[in-house]
Amino acid sequence: MTTPVLQVDALRRSFGPATVVDGVSLRIDPGETVGLLGPNGAGKTTTISMIAGLLRPDGGSVHIQGVDMASDPLAAKRHLGLVPQDLAIYPELSARSNLSFFGRLQGMRGAALRRRVAEVLEVVGLTDRATGASKTFSGGMKRRLNIAIGLLHEPRLLILDEPTVGVDPQSRNAILESVEALSGEGMAVLYTTHYMEEAERLCDRIGIIDAGRVIAEGTRDSLVELTGRTDTVTLAGDGPLEEIEAAVSRIPAVREVHRITGEGRLVMVVQGAPQAISAIVATASGAGMTLRDVEISRPDLESVFLHLTGKALRD
Amino acid sequence: MRVVLAIAWVELRRFLADRSNLFFVLILPLAMVAVIGWQFGSDRSGAPLSVQGPGGAATQALVEGWEDAELAVTLRDTPELVQEDVSRGSAEVGVLLDPEAEAAYRDGIPMELEIITGSSSEAPAVAQVVRAQAEAVATEAAQVGLLETFGDEAEARAALDDASTLVPPAQLLVQEPEDPVAVAFEGVEQFDSGAVAQLLLFVFLSTLNAAPALIKARRDGVVRRTMAAPVTTAQAMAGLTTGRVVIALVQGAYIMLASSLLFGVRWGSLGVAVVVLLVFGLVAAGVAMVIGVLVDSEGAASGLAVGGGLVLGAVGGSMVPLEFYSDTLRQVAQLTPHAWANDAMAQIQRQGAGIADVWPQLGVLAAMAIGVLVLGSLLLRRSLARAM
Repeated sequence: MTTPVLQVDALRRSFGPATVVDGVSLRIDPGETVGLLGPNGAGKTTTISMIAGLLRPDGGSVHIQGVDMASDPLAAKRHLGLVPQDLAIYPELSARSNLSFFGRLQGMRGAALRRRVAEVLEVVGLTDRATGASKTFSGGMKRRLNIAIGLLHEPRLLILDEPTVGVDPQSRNAILESVEALSGEGMAVLYTTHYMEEAERLCDRIGIIDAGRVIAEGTRDSLVELTGRTDTVTLAGDGPLEEIEAAVSRIPAVREVHRITGEGRLVMVVQGAPQAISAIVATASGAGMTLRDVEISRPDLESVFLHLTGKALRD
Repeated sequence: MRVVLAIAWVELRRFLADRSNLFFVLILPLAMVAVIGWQFGSDRSGAPLSVQGPGGAATQALVEGWEDAELAVTLRDTPELVQEDVSRGSAEVGVLLDPEAEAAYRDGIPMELEIITGSSSEAPAVAQVVRAQAEAVATEAAQVGLLETFGDEAEARAALDDASTLVPPAQLLVQEPEDPVAVAFEGVEQFDSGAVAQLLLFVFLSTLNAAPALIKARRDGVVRRTMAAPVTTAQAMAGLTTGRVVIALVQGAYIMLASSLLFGVRWGSLGVAVVVLLVFGLVAAGVAMVIGVLVDSEGAASGLAVGGGLVLGAVGGSMVPLEFYSDTLRQVAQLTPHAWANDAMAQIQRQGAGIADVWPQLGVLAAMAIGVLVLGSLLLRRSLARAM
C-alpha cells in the first residue's frame, strides 16, 4: 500500500463558540487530484490552513508524505506547495524576484534555484515578463505567478485554494490545463473551489464540504448516483415519432422514453448519456427522424449539493 | 540564517521601491538638524553678551564700553532672561547689575557685577573681555570722581596719578555655571544636541513604517505563504526585524556622517553610538511589528506610527532636551525608549562615554526590545488565524 501524500484524520477547529471544521478526514495519493467543493464559509480555507500548518487544529491530525505536521512542521512543509486564494506575491518585485525569494524560503539557492525559476516561468508563460514589477501584470498573469510560486520547489502536494477567482476565461483555462498537467506528472493536488465545473473537470475525487463537515466524498459519478437521478436526452424533429420511440427504446442505455407529439419531441431517461448519444441519434435518424435539436441534461454537482444539503452551492 | 537574510533582503527592496521613503530617511532629518541648530544657536555670534541692569549711568557706561570692545550686547529686563540666554547658548556671557552697583558707580567706589559664563569654548574669552572693559569703566568713574574733588589742576593730576595706582578696580564676582542645564550642555556646539534628538526621532519614525508594510504583506497573503514554507515564526520575525534595523542603521550612519560633515556635529565614540542605535532600532522594529499585527488597516497603522512616534519622541526628549524637563516629566519620559537613547547618546557625545558608561541605558533598551519582539512574534502567529 502506497503512503498517501496527504492523510487528514478527524480535523477539528473552533473559533470561540463556532465550530468551523468538524471532523474532516481526507486522503490523497500520488498523482491524484481531489477537490473540496463547498460554498463560501463552508470551512474550506480553514481546513487548508490547518493542512498547511498555518493554524493549529483543536483535534485530529495532518500527515504529509507520512510526516506529522504537528510534531515536525518544517519537514512536513517541505513537501507542500500552497497557492493561496489571495495573490500572495510582492507587487513591488518582479516575477523572477518573487520566485527567487520564495525559493530561498524553501532552501533552494544558486544555479539550481535559477534553473527552476526559469522553468516555472516557462510553464506559466511569464518568461517574457520575468523582470518587470509584478504590480504591472494583468489579473491573470498575477494568478499564474501565484501558482508558479507554489510549484517552484516541486512539492509532492500542491494545495490550490480557489485559484481561478476573478480570472478571465482564457487565463482560467490555462490554469486548469496546468493543474491537469501537474496531476499527470504524479503530483498530488488538493483543489478547493465553489465552481462545480472546475471540480468536475479536474478532480478524480470530490469531497463536498458544508458547515465544516465533509458530507459526501467520491468520484463525480458516484456522487451523482446519490441523487438517484440519471441523464436526460431530448430529441426534437420531424418524423414518425411512434416508430422512432420504439427504435430508441431498444437501446440498452435508454431506460424510459416519453413522446410529446404536439412538440415533435422525444424525452429519454438514459444511463450514461455521453456514451450513448451517438447510438441514440443514429437510431432515431435511421427510424426516419429529421433532427432539429439534441439536448443532453445531466445531474451535476450542484444537484448533488442541493440533494445533500437542501441548499444551492452558491448560497 | 539564509531564510532570515532572504526575508530581510526583501524588506529592504520593498522599502527602497517606495521612493518617498528616501525623502523621510535621508533629506528631512538633516533639514531638521539644520533648522533646530540654527534656532538654538543662531544668536550666538550676533549677541554674545546678555545684560540686565537698572538702566542708569553705570549700565549705560558699561554697555558702551563693551560695545566699544566689539561685543554685541542684548539688554534684558530680568535676571532670569539673562540666565536663559546663557543656558540656551544664545549668549556666551551674562552680566547682572543691581541698584547698589549703580550707586557705587556714582560714588566712584568699587561696584560689584555678577557675571555668568556660558558653557561653550568661547565663553571664557568673552568673559575676560567683559571683565577687562568693566574694570576700565570702573576705573574711569573713580578718576572722574577724584577730578571733581580737586579744583587745582596740579592737585587733580596728582590725584589722578594716585587714582591710577590706589583706586582698586571694580570687584567682579564671576559666577561659574552652576545651573544644571548649563552644566549638562557644557561643551555642546550649535548643532550637536539637535542632531542627536533628530537622529533618534527619525530613525524611530522610519522604522515604524514597517507596520503598514507588514499589514500590506498580511493582506496580500504573503505572510501566510511565507509561514506555509518551512519557516518558523521566530525566523520570520527575525527577518522582518533585521530588514528594518538595517534601514535604521543605514539612516543613522548617514545622519551622523552628513551632520558631521555639514554642521560639524561631534558624535563621540561612533562604535558606542552605533550600538545604542542598534538596540534602539530593535525596539522600534518590535513596536512596528506589534502595530503591524494588531491593526488591520494600513492607513490607521500609518497614522498610529507617525502620531505615536512623534509623541514618544516629544516625551522622550527628541523635541525639547530632557534637561529642561521637570522631575515628574523626566520620570514619565523614562517610559519611552527615546529618553534612554537620548540620555546614552548625550553621554557619548558630551562626555566621551564608552559602553561601560551607558550600559544601564543599553540594558533598559534591550529589555524593551526583547519585550516587544516576543510580543510581536506571538501576535504574528495568532494573526494567521484572523481574516483581513
